[in-house]
Amino acid sequence: MTILKVAAVLLTGFFFGLTLEGISRKVMARIQRRYGPPWYQNFLDVFKALSKIGISHGWIFDFGILMALGGVIATLAFVPLGNLVAFPGLDNLFIIVYLFAVGALGMAMGMVGSGNPNASIGVARALTQMLGYEIPYMISVAAVMYYYKTASVSTLMLSQQDKWTLFKMPIGGIVAFISLLGMLGKKPFDTPIAPAEIASGPMVELSAKYMGLLMLMHTFSIFVEVGLFVDIFLGVSNYWTFLLKFTVVWIFATLISSVLPRFRIEQVVKFYWKVPLSLAFIQALFVLIGWVF
Amino acid sequence: MDERGIWEKIADKLRSKSLWMLHYCTGCGAMELPPTMTSRFDMERFGMGPMATPRQADILFITGYLNTKTLRRVIYTYEKMADPKYVIGFGSCTLNGGIYYDSYGTINKLDYYLPVDLYIAGCMPRPEALLEAFNELMRMIRNGEANGWKKYKENYEWYKNNQLRSLGEVYVHDEFHE
Amino acid sequence: MTNSMNEVINNVKNIASQVVINEIDEREIKLELNEKEVINVLSYLKGNGFSHLSLMTVVDWIAENKFEIVYILFSWETGNKIIVSTKIDRKEAKFVTIKHLWPTARFYEREIHEFFGIEFKGNDDMKPLFLEIWDDIPPLRKDFDPLEYSKKKFPDREYEKDVIHEAKIIRGDING
Repeated sequence: MTILKVAAVLLTGFFFGLTLEGISRKVMARIQRRYGPPWYQNFLDVFKALSKIGISHGWIFDFGILMALGGVIATLAFVPLGNLVAFPGLDNLFIIVYLFAVGALGMAMGMVGSGNPNASIGVARALTQMLGYEIPYMISVAAVMYYYKTASVSTLMLSQQDKWTLFKMPIGGIVAFISLLGMLGKKPFDTPIAPAEIASGPMVELSAKYMGLLMLMHTFSIFVEVGLFVDIFLGVSNYWTFLLKFTVVWIFATLISSVLPRFRIEQVVKFYWKVPLSLAFIQALFVLIGWVF
Repeated sequence: MDERGIWEKIADKLRSKSLWMLHYCTGCGAMELPPTMTSRFDMERFGMGPMATPRQADILFITGYLNTKTLRRVIYTYEKMADPKYVIGFGSCTLNGGIYYDSYGTINKLDYYLPVDLYIAGCMPRPEALLEAFNELMRMIRNGEANGWKKYKENYEWYKNNQLRSLGEVYVHDEFHE
Repeated sequence: MTNSMNEVINNVKNIASQVVINEIDEREIKLELNEKEVINVLSYLKGNGFSHLSLMTVVDWIAENKFEIVYILFSWETGNKIIVSTKIDRKEAKFVTIKHLWPTARFYEREIHEFFGIEFKGNDDMKPLFLEIWDDIPPLRKDFDPLEYSKKKFPDREYEKDVIHEAKIIRGDING
């Protein structure tokens, strides 16, 4: 049963994730008054990338990419998609955050193993940006955990019967959404993969199947990040309402990203440590003194 | 006639639907790309898009003249790309030298050095001509006719000799990178 | 000619023994000087407002067997422009550097050395700046034939038929 559930979670991540990415490209095209690619474009891209004949850069490179993809897939298996929970009782927020680092570190290792300076710059930027968004995110989520006295994601979701956490703690919700933009690498915070400056950063040396695997990893990590936000802040949901809420959040992030320019890396960290961090502290203080709507 | 297996045929179909381009924009032809990419002609509806690095790109797009100095870098870039890869020569400069036919630094025909799958004639070709060419390239890939990358492997000696004849040496020496 | 220009030109006349003054525009003047006095005039002009070296280049007068070295100076205070030029022998193409006056001239001199083959005494850095692996006489000299070089190095495309010629026959420009 567990295997079936894990397979269901991963297949949802694959099909729904890639479809949504295609749709978001379409949405962005419509904002720029273009027609845009078909919705299944990302499937074509992934399979095309897998069909090409690529170049490896040594075993550290290969291993890093496998570690990135494996780490993210393992993380995704623990994320509850509405009432579809692969490992009931084990969907602890700390486990998910801990496992998620495996994917990020694998990617950093593989990309630096390629030996391209642009990749190293990109990885350094990605880790710096992580330092920026993780702290406000963790503080606002810690406030939620303190309030509900649990760290289990599905319990957090189920304890929002009366009202969504987003409305109970609006400041924390906003902070988490801004951090989510940074996690997704959406426009004001897409410094690590700036194509015009550092030739798409960490991905600079990825050819063929490596690129395909990394695109899959990207899709799955989007599913983990947005899924956590939906579970923690957007109320009780079953599988289908989860996907609906997921779509709304993802399209909203796309809309924001398609009209904004890019921050420099030190601006990213300054912004995260000034505005969202102080807001997160205010939210935590409100929770401590009991001011929750 | 058609020697491709069933998997190759499927892969070629996918490749024709998702083409990522690397622009080598040293010539004036670079000017015709922004309208092709943006809202008027919108190249993305064919699944085409610009790529920042040769490793990920499928098409090497040469926009206009190349001189000996840039040709060295182009050969490097081409050899870095992952198979299968396609080259498009844009404008009459890549065809026969164009107005630079008698220049001491500018090469006269690109297919002497790299296997060109498709030429777009004109000075300058308009975005409509570009889209026409992209559709033609997609048709060629679907039918398995865009085999420049195989030709380059088979006739590597010939291409290398030509490159050496015009360039003297393909290795890049660069004052700013030493 | 503006007043400020007049003053400068009068002083130049005192420094240089022979000077041909060509007034191109109200704010633009060309001074043709003797080979030996150019550096003095340039350093005087640099000290008197014309502190910006816009361009340094060479013209090849092959019939006269001379190279004309041209310095274009610009004044940020008055907006005036002075073109200083001198002719040197084409056979023995050697001149003095102005690197000590304008450090940027180092690159202009490298470029001139590369494209005209003129040597500058005092400037040791004469590596090629633009061309890579050049194997002929400097390419911007008038006795260099670019078409011949291009034919030798970069093969032309051979067309199966001469389309333009045929079109002319059809149009009736050429008979048969």
